[in-house]
Amino acid sequence: MKTPLQLIQTGSAAGTKQPALAIDRLSKVFHMEDGYLNVLQDICLTISEGELVCISGPSGCGKTTLLKLIAGFMKPGGGTIRIKGRTVTRPGPDRCVVFQEDALFPWLTVAENIAFGVRQFMGRRQLNNEVDRYLEMVGLGSFGKYLPREISGGMKQRVALARVLILQPQVLLMDEPFGALDAQTREEMQNLLLSLWEKLSHTIIFITHDLSEAVTLADRIIIMTRNPGRIQADITVPLPRPRKKESDAFHRFYRELRSRL
Amino acid sequence: MNKPDIRFPVLPWIIPGILLAAWFAASRTGLVPDYLLPDPIRIAESGVTYIFSPPDSAPYAGRFLTDASASLLRVFLGFSLAVLLGIPLGVISGRIAFCHKLMSTTINSLRAVPGISWLPLALVWFGIGMRTTIFLVAMAAFFPIYINTAAGARSVNPLFYQAGAMMGVGRIRGIFAILLPAAMPQIISGLRLGLGISWAYLVLGELTGVSNGLGAIIMDARMIGRIDMIIVGIIVIAVMGRISDVLLNTSLRLCFKSAKRMT
Repeated sequence: MKTPLQLIQTGSAAGTKQPALAIDRLSKVFHMEDGYLNVLQDICLTISEGELVCISGPSGCGKTTLLKLIAGFMKPGGGTIRIKGRTVTRPGPDRCVVFQEDALFPWLTVAENIAFGVRQFMGRRQLNNEVDRYLEMVGLGSFGKYLPREISGGMKQRVALARVLILQPQVLLMDEPFGALDAQTREEMQNLLLSLWEKLSHTIIFITHDLSEAVTLADRIIIMTRNPGRIQADITVPLPRPRKKESDAFHRFYRELRSRL
Repeated sequence: MNKPDIRFPVLPWIIPGILLAAWFAASRTGLVPDYLLPDPIRIAESGVTYIFSPPDSAPYAGRFLTDASASLLRVFLGFSLAVLLGIPLGVISGRIAFCHKLMSTTINSLRAVPGISWLPLALVWFGIGMRTTIFLVAMAAFFPIYINTAAGARSVNPLFYQAGAMMGVGRIRGIFAILLPAAMPQIISGLRLGLGISWAYLVLGELTGVSNGLGAIIMDARMIGRIDMIIVGIIVIAVMGRISDVLLNTSLRLCFKSAKRMT
């Protein structure tokens, strides 16, 4: 039997198909008043379709910047990002972000928030059906008429998830989406995400600073270092699913990972 | 939230009640002479004559409808002009830093000029009457509308635009789908402030010798010493100002979800 350490840095073999995401020698420099900061340097990363990849690392390692570049909110300083072979130039519904903070529109109800991205493409009846379907999917069946300020933080992130899932993105980008939730709600949300992922098999890039969250969720864990922001390790998680946080294997792998960083 | 507070229904009327009682006391005891502040009953009588009596049965009788409609039209036109200029310019300057820089010095200097100093110039440009009044009203109402809209547009959470962009909303549609609803609470404050100021500048515009309008009545009554009519005019303006504010607020809440849900 392989030990987790032997598995470290083997990465995952890209399939024969075109990768869902291919990042090639990506760099980004922030210019400050007193010089500049290499936020990202020479990032190469390939993620195949249906993979769930967690990106972790200390704060300031550029993981959120990487996500914003993939989303198209920023332009890279150098290198390229390709989604299914197409170079990213601007934001689009093929790469959707679930933000860390609450970014729901406060003037729209839960259902209207979910409908926001697709309402101009559908008739009223089809739209209502779709919205109901996604409300059910994230477990908010009866909350469509509520306003964001009337629901809890965990429910808001469910809505944030539903409003991007309805767009059927190629790649789902998640920027510490459960970071602000209490432990119990976070675990519920992790389970929800995993069950949706098994059902819909999206490609997911999930940023977290919480290693145990990464071990719970990921096929692969990318560890970054800061200044310059680089990929330090690309680790395949060998644990079978469903993973139990209480199991010995989980703990052993988690400790190995910890000690390595 | 958003439900009217039904406790203490009499609370807002306590201060008007006390003022009225003090007024009664002052005029009945002769503490204040009648030619400075007439008895409330006489004011009420003058008000009733002004509003309900057939025209020409007495001085000022039945003129209310003509005056009020003339004044309302002026406020409406001036305020609309201010809205049509203030909201688009506010949105542009709030969204595009370049335009903000381009316009802010000019607009803030103009804003520092008291509205009344425009009166002589407006008289020369537009003559006495409708157009001068509309100009003054529009000029005065523009600044609060513009400034609040710009501040609202500037303070929209940038995450909203990012979320919109990933859901396929471009810059132009983003103005209507994201910027305006997100800035709605501030836009509403701007509109309400602007409408309040509109009434103030309406009177200023009408003091200059137009023949009808609520400001004209006040000036006219002063010339012939009808202090009761001055007070009637003041009360009518206060009531109409309050009613127009309520109407503005209500119609915004009926027309825009964001107005209903975020204020």
